[in-house]
Amino acid sequence: MEEFTYTRPATADDATGAHSAAEDAMYMAGGQTLIPVLKQGLAMPTDVVDLNRVGDLAGIQVTGDAVTIGAMTRHAVVAASAEVKGAIPALTVLAGGIGDAQVRNRGTMGGSLANNDPSADYPSAVLGLGATVTTNQREIPADEFFDGMFATNLEDGELIKSVTYPIPEKAGYAKFPNPASRYALVGVFVAKTAGGVRVAVTGAGQDGVFRPAEVEAALSADFSAAALDGVTVPADDLMTDMHAAADYRAHLIVVMAKRAVNQANGQG
Amino acid sequence: MSNVKIGESLRRVEDLRFLTGHGRYIDDINLDGQARAVVVRSPYAHATINSIDTSSVADMDGVLLVVTRDDWQREGFKPMPTKSGVKNNKDGTPLSQPDRHALAIDRVRYVGEPVALVVAETLQQAQDAAEALDVDYDELDAVTDPVKALAPGAPQLWDDIPNNLCLDFELGDKDGTEKAFAEADHVVSLDVLNNRVTAVPIEPRGCIASYDASEDKYTLYNASQNVHANRDTFAEVLNIDPAKLDHIAPDVGGGFGAKNSGYPEPPLCLYAAKRLGRPVKWINSRSESFLSDTHGRGQSSRVELALKADGTFMGLRTTTIGGIGAYAWTVGPFTPTGGSARTQGGPYNFPAMYYSGKAVLTNTAPMDPYRGAGRPEATFQTERIVEYAARKLGFDPIELRRKNLMPKEMLPHKTPMGLDVDSGDFPKLFEMTMDMVAKADQAALKAKAEAAGKKYGFAIAPYLECTGGGPKEHAGVTFNKDGSVELAVGTSSTGMGHETSLAQILAAALGIEMGRVKFQQSDTTATPLGGGHGGSRGMEVGGNAVKQAADEIIELAKPIAARLLQSETEEVDFEDGTFKAGASSVSMNDVIEASQDADKLPEGMEPGCLNHSSVFERGIISIPNGVHAAAVAVDTDTGTVEFLGYWVMDDFGTIINPMLADGQVMGGVAQGIGQAFLEDIVYDPDTGQLVTGSLMDYGLPHADEIPNMEIGYYEGEPTKKNPLGVKGAGEAGCVGACPAVVNAVLDALKDDGVTHIDMPLTPQKVWKAIRDKGAHDPKALLGDAA
Ligand SMILES: Cc1cc2nc3c(=O)[nH]c(=O)nc-3n(C[C@H](O)[C@H](O)[C@H](O)COP(=O)(O)OP(=O)(O)OC[C@H]3O[C@@H](n4cnc5c(N)ncnc54)[C@H](O)[C@@H]3O)c2cc1C
Repeated sequence: MEEFTYTRPATADDATGAHSAAEDAMYMAGGQTLIPVLKQGLAMPTDVVDLNRVGDLAGIQVTGDAVTIGAMTRHAVVAASAEVKGAIPALTVLAGGIGDAQVRNRGTMGGSLANNDPSADYPSAVLGLGATVTTNQREIPADEFFDGMFATNLEDGELIKSVTYPIPEKAGYAKFPNPASRYALVGVFVAKTAGGVRVAVTGAGQDGVFRPAEVEAALSADFSAAALDGVTVPADDLMTDMHAAADYRAHLIVVMAKRAVNQANGQG
Repeated sequence: MSNVKIGESLRRVEDLRFLTGHGRYIDDINLDGQARAVVVRSPYAHATINSIDTSSVADMDGVLLVVTRDDWQREGFKPMPTKSGVKNNKDGTPLSQPDRHALAIDRVRYVGEPVALVVAETLQQAQDAAEALDVDYDELDAVTDPVKALAPGAPQLWDDIPNNLCLDFELGDKDGTEKAFAEADHVVSLDVLNNRVTAVPIEPRGCIASYDASEDKYTLYNASQNVHANRDTFAEVLNIDPAKLDHIAPDVGGGFGAKNSGYPEPPLCLYAAKRLGRPVKWINSRSESFLSDTHGRGQSSRVELALKADGTFMGLRTTTIGGIGAYAWTVGPFTPTGGSARTQGGPYNFPAMYYSGKAVLTNTAPMDPYRGAGRPEATFQTERIVEYAARKLGFDPIELRRKNLMPKEMLPHKTPMGLDVDSGDFPKLFEMTMDMVAKADQAALKAKAEAAGKKYGFAIAPYLECTGGGPKEHAGVTFNKDGSVELAVGTSSTGMGHETSLAQILAAALGIEMGRVKFQQSDTTATPLGGGHGGSRGMEVGGNAVKQAADEIIELAKPIAARLLQSETEEVDFEDGTFKAGASSVSMNDVIEASQDADKLPEGMEPGCLNHSSVFERGIISIPNGVHAAAVAVDTDTGTVEFLGYWVMDDFGTIINPMLADGQVMGGVAQGIGQAFLEDIVYDPDTGQLVTGSLMDYGLPHADEIPNMEIGYYEGEPTKKNPLGVKGAGEAGCVGACPAVVNAVLDALKDDGVTHIDMPLTPQKVWKAIRDKGAHDPKALLGDAA
């Protein structure tokens, strides 16, 4: 690990200020990804800006039609939230299935989205629900936020403050965990929203989270697991690694989509 | 009288320390003035080292010393010895054993091989310097698969070892087996992989070395499970007198074989400590552990079974090609050869058996024993071919096993592999297991699986294994004036509870309170000799040493008791902590107290006269045996497997502490399940880079993947090979688990045409096997190499 300057601001403005004043700064949320990356020397920032004392970044607000969750909200808090469960139960299912208890107690929604690991769970909820990411500079619609593996359209120093999820008619999330890491080998988020059916797949795409057209089309016609019988997803743009070849991932997308739909429909 | 008995589930006395964070592991130890060492490891699987430029780091902050091959050669340090139980090829020539130096001399031969040791004031400085050290390599072609390494044209690791063949071994009656196969009604053959795994002990390896110039003495704290043998190895390497090296393993956080070997890092640190006149501390990182801990299993075998038309077994023939890594490590060549030969055929009656095994050098991390070392492989090979034959030939797999188990009347029996099976009742254990299973109601389990849209599978796997490891053990007992009793034993607990079970044996035998016993282990000064941990020898050799010492102490105490009882020594009997002569009696406690008091001792006896050490030597290895059974539900949409039941009946002879034995069985089963479904050391076949170099890719089982187990013990056939009648419990769990769970999955998929899947049975492999309707080449691994 290289040496860096550590700051721990109390407000979001101080955090963005500290970031822009530094030569090459990085924010730190729960440190679940950042710390290992620093230890391995994969990132060598001059400054680390710790967000843990920035009070106004954490918290959950539920209004009539949306759930807004602060960037520093821990996965465990989302998983245990009765309010979130009442509004979008699939989101608590998703948060409760991330990593293990230690990871859920440290890891944050903002950190997960900024990192955009192609196997992370939250990106599928953001894309699947058509959420809006609010930063210190602007509001970014889900369809414009992600930009391929480990990449987003956040600008340098741009701070995620919260994410607003429109409350869908129903939604479900089914994850097939990687047998070793337990990240998503394939995770499918399905939602029936006012604007139509949205489906987002994580863990499988070479460019990170994506919307599978075939599955969305079938579920738009009939929001049931049976509607997916015989539907196939092309394997061309899917990842192949030692745990799963693209054809297995393609198969799992349909299987997990069915399970997510059943969950959304209260059938399992 | 003692407050404990043999056979009692005493709670572990060490747990309070461990569970409250008061364990003392290597990284908890810090010595005044210590420096930190980091190993520079090879980034290549195979390369010539042209030069190492230490000037590139000499001026860096905090750097104290860089140890390289030049130091090693200048000092005339020796290669580390190999102590394989099999030393000769089948033609009588000695095995081909390359020099194994602590640092690579001319070439590196696996990714992670030590090239230099950098010592600095702080860990950070040592890491920075290790990264900056300029080593110039010329990369060479590498080979990581032992079958490919044997083939003509393969990259050669050693100029003087043709075809990378370290050891070519055979055992059994070749001609007799051939004859049995010729006369058989059925012959079934299948290539079976025993996947390569690593132990991943929760505490990585590490050591702290120091040197006292005034006495020319070294002290080494080391996360070792074998302090005496390792001390001798390090002393041999460094050309020092073993008596000048005190080797201590404090609390050790898991070993499973991976802390058994003499590794390069401790002698490097000992040398650095002497050069610097300062203690040198080294702790392996988890990533480095994957690269540099010894790996286990890694065998490709062709297994052939000959049967009569009615299913009677006539012969078994196994041909194994086993990788051993780039060097013949401490005992590495033994596992795929003698180690896997011994228990071939399991508890079945095989009139003829033949085993041939090749230990092959590859550009991979060294291999050494991993929990079971050969017996899990042998059991897996045997049980897979039995299950496969049953499917191919239309026998019920349960009936086929039942029919071929050795009947009790056959024992004692010497198997065609030369194994002395003295005691046991295999059919009885089989039926006891089936009774346990029957209580669980298979029909209900099957209905449950099917209701969830899954396929139900069940398999039963009898196993027979053997103990191993050092045959001698020392137990020393010292009675202190404050009433405490020190017990020092040369075995080594890496967490399995010797502090409890060995103390329990002593307390029960002497009839004293358990709380008086203070246990001491893994210190070469406190224990003059010891065989450490390995081969399920803890109770078998260590436990018997304690029992023997206790029995001898009782004899030593009798004259004291006789004097207290005003009787004759010959009149005194001992039972349950009490010496009796006629109607009068005196307790062991009183006798111990008297033994400290010159006034109460008979003539010629001195205070402290009960302090006593004893060395127990095992004659013949014991034969633990038993039966595992598993019920699973397979999700054919995804290929995932869920457990519906797991049953174990074990014959470990006498059970000292059932709760600790349960712990051994459960842990072993968990490791077996890990190997069967998740764990896999994968090297890139072209570059020799380790693909599964972290826990993100190397799958370990989580607690929620391990089923509840119903465990029973049969104590009706204790062995007469040792006084306690114990057979060894430490490895049996992972001997029985792999075949039980793999065969259960294959049972679930029998209607899909699936007859074989190589471990690990990952969801992807299970799904693919179903998709491909079981299409599988039974000669997939060895091809024509067998
Ligand atoms: C063992 C383990 C298992 C895991 N399993 C899963 C899993 O199953 N599923 C899953 O989805 N994830 C998993 N994770 C990831 C984890 O859940 C975290 O979401 C992820 O590591 C990010 O961690 P963090 O929130 O602590 O962010 P950090 O590690 O602190 O930061 C990550 C990145 O985000 C940037 N960042 C953080 N906050 C902000 C912000 N507000 N605005 C802009 N940039 C920001 C940081 O600069 C950094 O680049 C796992 C992690 C571990 C260690």
